[in-house]
Amino acid sequence: MSNASQSRSWLEALLQVLAQRSGQPASQWAAQWAGARDWRWPTRRSEAWRFTDLRCLTQLDPARLHNRTAAPPWPDGLSQGSSRHVALQLDGHGHWRAPQGEPPSWPHGLMPLPTEDVTPGQVAHTVIPSGTLPLGAQLNGVTPGPSLGLQVSGPDPVHLALAIQAEQAQAWLAPRVLLVLQPDARLCLSWHVAATAQAAVLPMVEARLAPGAQLEEAAVAQGCPGATFLGSSFVRQSPRSVYRRANVTWGWGLSRDEPFIRQSQGQAETHLHGLAVARGQSLVDTHSTVYFDGPAGQLRQRHQALADDQGHSVFNGRVVVPRAAQQTDASQLSRNLLLSTKARIDTKPQLEIVADDVQCTHGATVSCLQDDELFYLQSRGIGREQASRLLQRGFCEEILQRLPRAALAWSSLQRLLEIPVPDQP
Amino acid sequence: MTSTETTPVCETPVQTGDVLLSIENLHARVEGKEILRGVSLRIRAGEIHALMGRNGSGKSTLSKVIAGHPAYTVTAGAIHYRDQDLLALSPEDRARAGVFLGFQYPVEIPGVSNLEFLRVSCNARRQHRGQEELDTFAFEDHVRDTMAIVQMDPAFLERSVNEGFSGGEKKRNEVLQMALLEPLVAILDETDSGLDIDALRIVANGVKTLALPTTATLLITHYQRLLDAITPDFVHVMAEGRILRTGDKDLAMALEQRGYDWIDGADGADTPQP
Ligand SMILES: Nc1ncnc2c1ncn2[C@@H]1O[C@H](COP(=O)(O)OP(=O)(O)OP(=O)(O)O)[C@@H](O)[C@H]1O
Ligand SMILES: [Mg+2]
Repeated sequence: MSNASQSRSWLEALLQVLAQRSGQPASQWAAQWAGARDWRWPTRRSEAWRFTDLRCLTQLDPARLHNRTAAPPWPDGLSQGSSRHVALQLDGHGHWRAPQGEPPSWPHGLMPLPTEDVTPGQVAHTVIPSGTLPLGAQLNGVTPGPSLGLQVSGPDPVHLALAIQAEQAQAWLAPRVLLVLQPDARLCLSWHVAATAQAAVLPMVEARLAPGAQLEEAAVAQGCPGATFLGSSFVRQSPRSVYRRANVTWGWGLSRDEPFIRQSQGQAETHLHGLAVARGQSLVDTHSTVYFDGPAGQLRQRHQALADDQGHSVFNGRVVVPRAAQQTDASQLSRNLLLSTKARIDTKPQLEIVADDVQCTHGATVSCLQDDELFYLQSRGIGREQASRLLQRGFCEEILQRLPRAALAWSSLQRLLEIPVPDQP
Repeated sequence: MTSTETTPVCETPVQTGDVLLSIENLHARVEGKEILRGVSLRIRAGEIHALMGRNGSGKSTLSKVIAGHPAYTVTAGAIHYRDQDLLALSPEDRARAGVFLGFQYPVEIPGVSNLEFLRVSCNARRQHRGQEELDTFAFEDHVRDTMAIVQMDPAFLERSVNEGFSGGEKKRNEVLQMALLEPLVAILDETDSGLDIDALRIVANGVKTLALPTTATLLITHYQRLLDAITPDFVHVMAEGRILRTGDKDLAMALEQRGYDWIDGADGADTPQP
């Protein structure tokens, strides 16, 4: 059997299982999700999937999939709610619950949307052209389960912390979050996703930012070999809105993160800061797209990746600036650290600029650890191994400093950054 | 916990007059080019040596070879540090054993906090000496005390290693590292360059404080000013990868007045080092 037909039959089996869970016939269930019926399974012949092999995902056994989760190891204090803060974790039925188990008590300024208003894909379809939903979002869409829909209002920032912990093999977790930010509303959203077993986590985030709204998103996603992360997010920004996203991803057998942002009339600010760490056999892929539909929009994007062992990092940063988007000010930087001869970095800016009065810059660097920096540390008694770790962490720091303190408190991130005691002389 | 001295177990005590560093007929090359062409030098505990010489004569190369920079290959000769074959040790082991190089051009390391760098480095040396490692809190007290030696603002602890430091601030940071590592042999490569008048005095006082009867110091410098503040026991002049002349502080003074041509003119015989 060819690879393609193998994938095809895996997908059919998956759709069968998910349809059964939904209690509807497979065809009908799949049809609910636009385009799901005639999916074109990505192959490495398509440019967007050239480097990204989906075997890690298709090694899951559709017949054994479940949605059981474990209790996330919340850092001290973060799991408690307050008048401005709510913490939620995904339970074994696809519902978001407060860590203590009771239904969440919503802080002022955060209001759950009625279920009928939370149709999955409603923002996504206003952000990307129809028929181009990324794989992660498609798979998320055919997975039955409730959406979390929240309306955010008021200028005082509200904090929402979401955690997903997958500890059992064959877990298939596809949460959906819809955020509607009213004019001038402010939300600080932090994600912590961890998989310690061969599982798949496929979160989908949709957010609509009204004029003047601000969304600050911080995401920490830690996987393990054999685990798959397929994340997609769709953010639609009105003028004067600000969207900041900082994310750190590492450990997954396969991770594919696809944020799509559309400044519907320009005049908004988008800040994207990503850190991808690919060690072992890990493949960490980020494909981002920012559309400017109106003038004077701003983008600050920085993607950093570190690849060691046989790790592979892929970055594709697409920026679309049509004629309507004069005075767009966009900068994109991809910085990469290559630590082994078998590791691999593929980085590609994809600037599609038609407007002529714009300032768009991009840059990409790939480097190794600098000998002079290593020597300087060694000349102070720091062993080569530890010197190398210090430099690696220094490299990550640029992105990490964008994360809120609360995100840094997660022990997983602490472990990523851990520096062992000095080696024995 | 304070930094009260525990008896070093790994480091045998030094007596004033012990030979700490002994360089014999050292030849070294970089990128196929021979830079050091027979350097010999012996440094004893309690001594301060000055090394002078024209730009490009090989002073920094010598210091880097002593510290173990991988870009330089030793092609002949030997360096002994307290009876050990120094060239057989890794750069980190040389530092842990008590050899310190203050860099002419300290390296900027973005993202690595100066405080953490100093702590890890200080603890590596302490561990070697059989001293207990300092935890974050104890170290912070220790480093703040030590910073007083070079009158450095503790705000520099929060920054990345040397990143955005001015020339003079980098040099103070080097002397701070020296103070924390308590080396037995300290080589300071143009630590006086780029310092303003006050900073030079502060740094010179710091170095003087750190020069003990049981340690040795090699000052690489172009300027008499530093040697006015710290009187060297020996002054060496390097030219084309060799030590051409050795004298006392008067040699530095004569150089200041007459320039290097004067040495080239004089017959090149090495002055024997006492
Ligand atoms: N890594 C290197 N690659 C190529 N050439 C080098 C390298 N390091 C040193 N050299 C050369 O070796 C010679 C000696 O350099 P070195 O830095 O030791 O001089 P110096 O005496 O310290 O000079 P200065 O007083 O200017 O600091 C110079 O000609 C220099 O260009
Ligand atoms: Mg020099």
